[in-house]
This record gives sequence, structure tokens and C-alpha cells, in this order.
Amino acid sequence: MEEVDVLSLREAFSRQGIMLGFNGPFSATLMEEIGKALRKHMEGLSESPSAITDVFSAYIELSQNIRHYAASSGVSGAAAEATIIVSRDEAGHYVVSAGNVVLHDDGEALVARIGELAALDRAALKAAFKTQMRQPRDPQAKTGAGLGLIDLARRASQPLACSVKTLDPQHAFFSLRVVI
Amino acid sequence: MNDFEIPATESTPLIRTDRTAGRLEMSGDSYPENSFELFQPVIDWLAGFLDQVLQPLTLELKLMYLNTSSVRAMMDIFDALQDAHERGQAVTVNWRYDRDNERVADLAAEFKEDYTFPFEIIPGS
Repeated sequence: MEEVDVLSLREAFSRQGIMLGFNGPFSATLMEEIGKALRKHMEGLSESPSAITDVFSAYIELSQNIRHYAASSGVSGAAAEATIIVSRDEAGHYVVSAGNVVLHDDGEALVARIGELAALDRAALKAAFKTQMRQPRDPQAKTGAGLGLIDLARRASQPLACSVKTLDPQHAFFSLRVVI
Repeated sequence: MNDFEIPATESTPLIRTDRTAGRLEMSGDSYPENSFELFQPVIDWLAGFLDQVLQPLTLELKLMYLNTSSVRAMMDIFDALQDAHERGQAVTVNWRYDRDNERVADLAAEFKEDYTFPFEIIPGS
């Protein structure tokens, strides 16, 4: 294994405008604490409550999607882990990126769904959100019933971007980037 | 249909019921992983109230950030109020928000579009 080089990691973080990053297994409590830190940091930068809400929301929806997926998918081990990054791009936009290990087919289904959402304008996204909200809920389901991705697309200033990279015949690494 | 109070946590709002006053109050952020577990007692209390009590009901909200599963649960709550309203029962929602946080106002306004009972969105500080 490569030796940890803290300085080069720090330099990579700085180069990519990364404010806050997490990689590894994460609990609900840890997720809340990171979210709290993110809000405090943005308040310190005197960002508007709306901007803070959008970034915080993207962070929460992405992390909860990953935790729900890990709990339901039967992907063991690495699936309970996530990589979540909050950064700023050259234009000053906040960017929330997240990735996790998924089953191949699940990854492909997500790419297709995100492609559909990318084609929708604001009004169509709002309509999609309301339609999805009215879908009958599985009594066993604990999640927002597919609302998360639409909500992310609505808060983003650009279409959602995602990628799937094959890890082995069953698994792939799915990542999603939300520019606020 | 006993009254209850659930204190706020980092990710869940304060929830308080008052049968005598005809009042249900929720205030704070709501982004638990399992929103349905959180809101089930609210939905049950509401169903009991609307079924057994004929006096008006006011839902006082100071909700701020809601994750999507909380949004979905709120829809169930408003749907129950709409049914009661259509049966002739007096129900009102007052949703107060910090005027700087327009996301809360946007969310409340989107809900309001779907219902015909009195639904006030009240800016404050």
C-alpha cells in the first residue's frame, strides 16, 4: 500500500477547491455532524440561508440515498461506505459530489434516470416532483420514494452529472455531481 | 388519542399536540433517515382528532429544512386535513418562516397550491 502523503492530499484538495470531504463507512450520527459542520462553515462565509439550505440539502439527500441503498441492496462491505465531497468551482458555485459501490444494473438504471431528469426544465421538474410525491408508497419503504434525485435536480444550477465505472463483474462505482 | 410532545433533536423537529386547544405544532428542521417512523404518531393523532373532535384544528408550523422523505410525510398530513376540510371541518395551516430563507416559503407555497383549506405562509424574523 502506498504511504499516506498528507501534503500531497492537501494540495489535491486545494487544487480541486475541496472544502470538506469524507471517505469511508459512515453512521447517521457522523452524517449529521458533518452536515452541521458544513452549515456552520457556510454561515461563517455569510452565505444566504437559501444557499446554505440548497447545499445542505444536496449533502443530506446524497448521503441518505447512499445509506438507504446500502441497507437495502444486499451489496455488502464497501456498499456501506461512501465518498462525499463539498467543493467550489472556478465560478464560485458550490458542488456536492458523492459516490458509492453499486450493483451494475442499479448503476445503469441511475444513469438512465439522471439522463431523463437532465432533459427537463424547471416547470417539468416541479411537475415530476409532484407526480412522484403522489405515487403510492410501499408501506415497508422508509425513504422519500424516489423524490431525492428530482429534488437534487431542482436545486442544481446545471443538469446533474454522473458516471459509472466498473469495478468487477458485479459491482461498479457510481458517482453523482450536483452543482448548486 | 393522547396528547404527546416529542422534543427536537438535531435532525427532527419539536412536535406537540394539544387536543383541548385544537392545535398541532411542529417546529425545527426535519431530516431523519426514517421520516415515517417520526411522523406516524402525528398522522395517528390527527386521524383520531379529525374523527372524534368537532372543533377546529390549527396546524402551527415553523418547519425549516425538510428532507424529501419528510416532505412526503407532510403531504400525508395535509391530505388528511384536506379530507376533513371537504367534510366541513374547520382546519387551518399557519406556516411561519424566517423571511431570509425563501426556500421554506417556496416549499410551503408548492404545498399550498394543492389544497383548498386556509393555508397561511407567514414571514417573520
